[in-house]
Amino acid sequence: MLMPKKVKYRKQQRGRMAGKAWRGSELAFGDYGLKVMECGHITDRQIEASRIAMTRFVKRGGKIWLRLFPDKPVTKKPAETRMGKGKGAPDHWVAVVRPGKILFEMEGVTPTDAREAMRLASHKLPLRTRFVARHGVGAH
Amino acid sequence: MATATEGNVVEAQVREAKGKNVARRVRKSGKVPAVVYGAGKQPVSVSVDPKQIARILHSESGYNTIFDLQLDGERTKAMIVEWQWEPIKGALLHLDLKFIAMDQRLKVKVPVALTGEAAGVKQQGGILDQVLREVEVECLPGDIPSHVDADVSHLAFGQVLRVSDLPVDRGKVRIITPADQAVAHVTSVKEEVAPTPEAVAAEAGAAPAEPEVIKKGKQETTEEGAEAAPEKAEKPEKAEKKEKK
Repeated sequence: MLMPKKVKYRKQQRGRMAGKAWRGSELAFGDYGLKVMECGHITDRQIEASRIAMTRFVKRGGKIWLRLFPDKPVTKKPAETRMGKGKGAPDHWVAVVRPGKILFEMEGVTPTDAREAMRLASHKLPLRTRFVARHGVGAH
Repeated sequence: MATATEGNVVEAQVREAKGKNVARRVRKSGKVPAVVYGAGKQPVSVSVDPKQIARILHSESGYNTIFDLQLDGERTKAMIVEWQWEPIKGALLHLDLKFIAMDQRLKVKVPVALTGEAAGVKQQGGILDQVLREVEVECLPGDIPSHVDADVSHLAFGQVLRVSDLPVDRGKVRIITPADQAVAHVTSVKEEVAPTPEAVAAEAGAAPAEPEVIKKGKQETTEEGAEAAPEKAEKPEKAEKKEKK
């Protein structure tokens, strides 16, 4: 699973995710992409599941870029524990995404294959997404 | 490779008031706030019709199109230098327009379009990766190419197409982007194989490692602190508790 190599602090507070993704909202590497339409947390497992879904579908045919990284730790208290006694232990990592963020990019495949791969990837995610393509490459 | 001069006319109205509230009102009224500058003239805040701008941006010559800007009853040559899209709905938010002096050379970015199917893709099963999508060029406004066509049909596996290989009229257009920069190359991608059940079980059994925590301050001070900590932990509190009991 994806996670940072080094961190300054082991635990973080939840924080807010208001606003839109003004950065990272346009295609930078590939011809096709998957844009998220609402804000939320995407876990390391969900990112990995999406990546595997895409790579298995395109096989050796395409190149894939991940444009998000799970750098926020989420803690969890053990089951059947009383409240209090401090914050729980780090459990998993999430990426905070805001609407408009490009999650994945792809190149070297046909528009139909890219759309299908992105559809499979989007089924692994908890947020609404939209397929995007570079102008003149086949968005429809 | 057509040049980017077209007979478009964009009407602009001068904006007297400035600021985000006014800009918001301008957008609400169906226009887009913009600013025009360049050619030694004072910058002017204007508002323009987004449909006319979108038509220019989506035309063949794209953002390098030179059009007539109708401002205060006067027509001046101008072009789009910067634009902002809203990330979800894709509406235009703001534009930077530039007055163009047709006799002065200017620096613009021209898109690179790859043509043909690379030999490395067709015969060797590679993937064509376009690394550079725009090149910066210097030329007269009338000579701006709408795009640069780069033929990649000869590109075999492992070969790289560089900026120096781009077919540009060197007499009129000077490429500013470094000549040795890669434009496209044929690469390969490792196929993802489905893991065996044993590997899946091993991965599930392994405890997820935690990342290293960056220590604060100097190493010595932390060591001292660590030594001092157990002493502190002797806990006068405990003694108090015992007394209470």
